[in-house]
Amino acid sequence: MKQGLTKMLSVFLMVSFMTGILAACGGGSGDDAATKAAAPKTESGKPDISKKVELNWYLVGDADKDSPQVIEKWNQMLAKDLNTTVKLNFMTWNDWQTKYNLLFASGEKIDMVFASSWSDFFKLSKQGAFLDLKDLLPTYAPETWKTVPEQDWKDVTVQGKILAVPSTYPEYTPDGIVYRDDWRQELNLPEIKDLDTMEQYYEGVKNGKKITPINGKAWNEVNTLFHYYNDFKNIGGDSGIIVAKSYDTPRDVVAYPFTDEFVTFVKRMKTWADKGFWTSSTLASQQEAGDFIKAGTGAAYWRNAPGASGFIMDVKKTNPNIKLAYFPFTHFHNYVVPNLGINNGMAIPKSAANPERSLMVLEKLRNDPEYYNLMTYGIKGRNYDFTEDGSIVSPAPGQDPAKVKGYGIASWGWRNIKNEHPAKDRWEGEAKLIEEFKAISKPDIFAPILMDYQPVKSQLAAVNQVFQQYGQPLMMGLVPDVDAAIETYRNKLKTAGVDTVLDYVTKQVATYADEKGLK
Amino acid sequence: MKIRTERSTLLFNIVGYVVISILSLLCLLPFWLIISGSFSSEAEIVRDGFKIFPSEFTFSAYQSVFSNPQQIFKAYLVSISLTAVGTLLGLFFISMAGYVLSRKDFKYRNSLAFFIYFTTLFSGGMIPWYILIVKYLDWKDSYLALLVPMMIGAWNIILMKNFMKSIPESIVESAKIDGAGEFTIYSKLVLPLSTPGLATIGLFLGLAYWNDWFSANIFITTEAKYPLQFLLYKILASAAVLKTSVAANLSADFKPPTESLKMAVAIVVTGPIIFLYPFLQRYFVKGLTIGAVKG
Amino acid sequence: MSGFIAELRKNKILFLMIAPVLVFFVVFSYFPMVGVYYAFTNYNFDGGLFGSPFVGMQNFKFLYESGALFSLTKNTVLYNLAFIFIGNLLQIVCAIFLSELTGKWFKKTTQSIMFLPFFISFVLVGAFVFNLFNTETGVINALLKQLGMHTYDFYMNTEPWKYIIVFFNVWKGLGYGTVIYLAAIMSISDEYHEAAKIDGANIFHRIRYITIPMLVPTFILLILLSLGGILKGQFDLFYQIIGSNGMLYETTDIIDTYVYRSLAVNFDIGMGTAAGLYQSFFGFVLIMSVNWIIKKTREDYALF
Repeated sequence: MKQGLTKMLSVFLMVSFMTGILAACGGGSGDDAATKAAAPKTESGKPDISKKVELNWYLVGDADKDSPQVIEKWNQMLAKDLNTTVKLNFMTWNDWQTKYNLLFASGEKIDMVFASSWSDFFKLSKQGAFLDLKDLLPTYAPETWKTVPEQDWKDVTVQGKILAVPSTYPEYTPDGIVYRDDWRQELNLPEIKDLDTMEQYYEGVKNGKKITPINGKAWNEVNTLFHYYNDFKNIGGDSGIIVAKSYDTPRDVVAYPFTDEFVTFVKRMKTWADKGFWTSSTLASQQEAGDFIKAGTGAAYWRNAPGASGFIMDVKKTNPNIKLAYFPFTHFHNYVVPNLGINNGMAIPKSAANPERSLMVLEKLRNDPEYYNLMTYGIKGRNYDFTEDGSIVSPAPGQDPAKVKGYGIASWGWRNIKNEHPAKDRWEGEAKLIEEFKAISKPDIFAPILMDYQPVKSQLAAVNQVFQQYGQPLMMGLVPDVDAAIETYRNKLKTAGVDTVLDYVTKQVATYADEKGLK
Repeated sequence: MKIRTERSTLLFNIVGYVVISILSLLCLLPFWLIISGSFSSEAEIVRDGFKIFPSEFTFSAYQSVFSNPQQIFKAYLVSISLTAVGTLLGLFFISMAGYVLSRKDFKYRNSLAFFIYFTTLFSGGMIPWYILIVKYLDWKDSYLALLVPMMIGAWNIILMKNFMKSIPESIVESAKIDGAGEFTIYSKLVLPLSTPGLATIGLFLGLAYWNDWFSANIFITTEAKYPLQFLLYKILASAAVLKTSVAANLSADFKPPTESLKMAVAIVVTGPIIFLYPFLQRYFVKGLTIGAVKG
Repeated sequence: MSGFIAELRKNKILFLMIAPVLVFFVVFSYFPMVGVYYAFTNYNFDGGLFGSPFVGMQNFKFLYESGALFSLTKNTVLYNLAFIFIGNLLQIVCAIFLSELTGKWFKKTTQSIMFLPFFISFVLVGAFVFNLFNTETGVINALLKQLGMHTYDFYMNTEPWKYIIVFFNVWKGLGYGTVIYLAAIMSISDEYHEAAKIDGANIFHRIRYITIPMLVPTFILLILLSLGGILKGQFDLFYQIIGSNGMLYETTDIIDTYVYRSLAVNFDIGMGTAAGLYQSFFGFVLIMSVNWIIKKTREDYALF
């Protein structure tokens, strides 16, 4: 054993030796960018572009088949206008979150990257991944600086620093369900307006069509319904079981499994499950409920509003005989909140070599229609064309649709309502829906709350685990005895430390509410 | 006496054929279902699950896979080259190390075996690994990132050592007396005697290279450099993401059938590599080894 | 030290032959191993690996404070033991049959066929399992219905899943493991068998007294190699088969799936690394002790 110990020791010595090397090389990358930020600016106040630079950009998602051509053309324009070229890298969808996080950890020199609230923008900001753009924006992206609404800048301000350029594309993405309107009419069922009519619809198609209404995995359909029906609001992104009790009482933070609303809801879901609205193996299914609609053996599918219109258009193409309708869950409480600007955006990592030039490129991209159309819609006359009223046809008329497709990359980060063109083929309900949303819109007071779970992260991890193990089956009505299951669930949550998390979040929300002057 | 022997052999054969046949069937049936699924329509799979024969026969999944045949062809080329080069180089280094460790008169063989095995126990995780390859070795978007890190594995070295241990020491000893150098003993004597081991490790290395899509996923950014596996996984991942709300606004016309696509991908991937195995099988035939050489 | 130099001089060539591999492991394994330090920090990008605040054992808390650690460890170890022993035994049986059966064509074909499951991704394995066992359209329940028997709701009962998981894991690795034993059998000199035949030993005797003893070192080696990873679960296998089906976790939850669920919403590098370090350390202690015992009893079989 003594020999073993010496061996171990030598291994660890070696490791610590190498640790030294890594530390020596790894340090110091943090400050570079900050000092650089104030660098080149000519005396006239005009940005100096005399030096030719190549920028390194990253987008999420796949490249398009026509991307090489598009990017080449883009680079020609950039070389002429800004003495710049961009190497545009695509992070394919496989494990994109992993790759995305690795980018920041590696210290690779990146001048611009897609950023959004759903790709951990706030967490990465807290951890110091992005460069502060406050001083750069007025000089290098003046039009963007002026045109992005004040509120959107506020949303991307973390600890006093502006860490991203949000897209300017006001959008509503409330959840809801897509359902078979043809079946509903055929079976003489009432239009879906609330929970009762929804139940009647499910029961009707279940018996009338002998199918499982929410076939495949039904978790999203039930979970979003639960939140909207009870008006439980997530705080600062996905806050799990800790929610604000309603829009009007932001300070009233609760752990929802301990509410009466929860008990009532899961009891109802138990009856739904027993009636066979979804299968007993639903939590193990990997199949989207929407796939079953297309296959003719499903009757409802959870989608957010834009997703619903996409799905409805898609089904129209693949199954023209199916007629779908959409019930947005906003009807429960009759209001909707718009998305944060940073639902999509672009940010500059601290490692950037040329943040100024990168911002100038973004400025062009957002505001110059020539740039915008090229990078968003592809090549005019090939991938797309405009109709007289400015809507978009893709691929361009006259092209063989088998060979040429509409252009599509994850261009959401620079989206600008000013330069957007609606598609010519749209779901006819979409415009009406957007009008409806506009009329009942209220500002989002919950999403911008910056939650830093650092002090309670181990309790939070335990709570999240309990939620998945005990909460999900309960909410899907898959337990034999609801009362006993609620009891177990609550006990497990207590042991996991739910009270510590709840106290912490409540305090954070109170601080925020004081700051913003909420009641 | 003779009859008894024959009866036991007969019994052994009956049991053997039955057991192996059942196991083979268990292995073949799912694969058959995948083949059948890859030719089924999307709706049929969603509705009815796996079937022995598809009721509507369609090529649409394969059309999605081969939508860009040139790219697939290129990817095959990348994969085959990586597998061939990586396996050969890996076998060389692994067998050399295995030989050294198998030498009983080599004093540090246990310490070094420990040094090697230790790497399978602890790992620093993905981030330092990524930093090493990208920042210190500068292998981002380079084939080297796909080739080198997978080449040598602790398990394979120790297995190799184990195979070589069964070579009688007397062979090495007598060669030494004849004045042969260490490298000569390894290359001229030990390697030819280790064919089953080499074939086994070679097969494992080849499979590992062929199946590796993850390295390409994090290190390769140029589409033309994608190996086959990654290209196919990329198609699958995009198909899956296009269904989620994330991509609700992605106006791509690319809406492949995801379920049958999964299966078509499995078939396309397995196709070529499955032929490698019968090719290697001749090294698992009795009589090639020590006995033959010695006699 | 002087002994080392003398040895180096004596076995110069041998050292040179193993040097590439050693350099390889220093660069690709030992160097990145510094990352285990993440387990003790609150990571941020300004500080990087060594500049982030040191937090001691705080990142390990979520593992032991919930009280689930013991049962998770137990589950993981038991599953792995089942995989290792059942898997290896079946592989040995297959290897022996394949080496002794006479039909050449049969042997070649079945060997190739047994490799097929290796290529089926766990995503597809998960789909198979679902298709076999789900209540509404599953093959098994459809059969039960046709036979006029009661259907069985697999997804509401934890008991069968242990066996299902073990079955599919063994099934997937069958061809792969068989090859190792087959190669080991091929290394056994024919002379032994010939001599035994002359002595009148039948096929069962020869297997019992020649083949099996010759396979024991390989068997022990493979067991030892696996022991170090005894606490590292096959995430994909469990995740694709069980999914987010909380009702089945009681018997099917392993450390990897538990950690995944805990950190899915709020991923934390420190906590992720901490869990990995616990798994590694457990395996390390186990392998060191087992190897030590083996060294005392049968030095030949020891790993190092």
